[in-house]
Amino acid sequence: MKRSASTWWLLLLLILVALVSLLPGRAGWLLPWRLSGHEADLAHLIFWQLRLPRLMLALLVGAALGLAGGVLQGLTRNPLAEPGLLGISSGASLGAVVAIYSGIGAAFALAVPLFGLAGALLGTLLTLAVGTGGGMLSLILAGAAVSGVLLAGTALVLNLSPNPYTAYEISHWMMGSVADCSWQQVGLAAPFVAVGMVVLFATGPALDALSLGELQAASLGVDLKVLRWRVVVGIALAVGAATAVTGTIGFIGLLAPHLVRGSVGHSPRRTLLPAALMGALLLLLADVIARLLPLSQELNLGVLTGLIGSPFFLWLVWRMKRESP
Amino acid sequence: MPRLPAAILLLLCSVAAVAAESPQRIVSLNFCTDELLLALVSSERIASLTWLARTDGTDSERLLAAGLPVNYGSAEEVLAAHPDLVLAGRYTTANTRALLARAGIEVVVVDAAQDWQAIRRVTRAVASAVGEPARGEALLAAMDATLAETAALRVTRPVRAIGWSGAAEDVPGADTLFNSILNTAGAVNLAARPVGPRGFGLEQILHARPQLLLRGTSSAGDRSLRSALADHPVLRALPGLVIIDYPEGAWACGVPAAADHALALARKLRELPADSAAR
Repeated sequence: MKRSASTWWLLLLLILVALVSLLPGRAGWLLPWRLSGHEADLAHLIFWQLRLPRLMLALLVGAALGLAGGVLQGLTRNPLAEPGLLGISSGASLGAVVAIYSGIGAAFALAVPLFGLAGALLGTLLTLAVGTGGGMLSLILAGAAVSGVLLAGTALVLNLSPNPYTAYEISHWMMGSVADCSWQQVGLAAPFVAVGMVVLFATGPALDALSLGELQAASLGVDLKVLRWRVVVGIALAVGAATAVTGTIGFIGLLAPHLVRGSVGHSPRRTLLPAALMGALLLLLADVIARLLPLSQELNLGVLTGLIGSPFFLWLVWRMKRESP
Repeated sequence: MPRLPAAILLLLCSVAAVAAESPQRIVSLNFCTDELLLALVSSERIASLTWLARTDGTDSERLLAAGLPVNYGSAEEVLAAHPDLVLAGRYTTANTRALLARAGIEVVVVDAAQDWQAIRRVTRAVASAVGEPARGEALLAAMDATLAETAALRVTRPVRAIGWSGAAEDVPGADTLFNSILNTAGAVNLAARPVGPRGFGLEQILHARPQLLLRGTSSAGDRSLRSALADHPVLRALPGLVIIDYPEGAWACGVPAAADHALALARKLRELPADSAAR
């Protein structure tokens, strides 16, 4: 009872922040009464074509990352697991970069999320293949190595591009942004993210069984191989398509599940929905801060999530060290 | 012992003799000096141009550059070419310039010219460095003729314009050649008067209420994130906004040929729909 209540509160808070987030922006405050009268057409355009798709993308991507973090932490039983640290986001970035800068994306728009998905799949499989079975540390190390290779690939593709300006776009792919996005981009990512999130939510009961241990899960009828594939496919769909549009946004997947566990408990299944909501809330807050900071150039989202997420990551490592010397 | 001063004297004489001749193996380390060099000297006097000359110049420049060696701005390439003069921009290839100066190679640093007066100054400086002052004056005379033709064509009421290429905040403001071309052609650059301490995102561009959006294109094609963003549907939805593409690379260089861009733009501004010009 108390647990579901905290989820409702989180949802309410998310809706409130989402509504408020529509007001501030680079062109000043968009107040509801300005939607009529003088310059109403401009306010309408900014609201419908810029602020709303931006909000939708932030919610979509934040929820996908938060949920992916919750599922990965459940599957690997590793509190440090998240898409950004396991090479999944960097794989998705590489896939999208290949699609866009080879010109395939311009000819066939769906290629961008599809390549992102393939890249995420590659990153996930590489990290899980190398990193599972050797404890918490080996998974994170494998993720760091896979991230490094895939990031280098992204930088390579950007540098090979004949357009001299593309080298500047690496900050988008490494740090992520939802600025100036359009409905077209939301439409490209949304179906994949939605299907991926359904697949991930459906793994909840199996993850609960797995939290008792692999043998116990097997005796409860959970096929670990099948579960692993469901997670991999769900993550590739959700994180791959999201990252293909926004670029790599780290630490949301790490923070969101940890922030909700205090109120919903440690059952992986119960963590999933609140983690998705928390992920959306975190990304939205980061985006609002990015818009409000009076800088001549808008900050990338990864700068803000990294500033908050890295110290948290360090704290988790420190706590783990203390608990298991 | 008395031989030594004689040797030094001889050395100085030979240096002076070489310097008096016009340089015959010239290297350019900057895309804009590539353009100046191609306009000022014959191809056989060019030891190498930047790699951009083959992709981002005008058609005739690309044709000329295709038959010439290219460099990527590294000191090794330049030293291997044994140049007698190196032209470089002020803001790039700093390490290369320092190394070349230490190797005793004459390096002429060319400022980026942002207006017609600066173009006259820079063109004269480079023309005299390569020993072609007369050709420099001829280029400037042609530029002035084109500018006069542009002034005659100018629309009476300046068109409210802004430049954008899709990259976040990448809007040319005051003190750019873009700004000079616009003003000469009969447009006012809305980004020359910033609305506040912040840069220009898509929202600010809409708020500035431009009649004309000049969209920068790269000769390398549209395979990038910025070109995908530059196609944002909100621009098509803005009533009365005319979008004209312009070659970003060619407009970046303060060379006499920049006057041609102003003339071409002035012609396009005359063709703008009347209702949009009246707003």
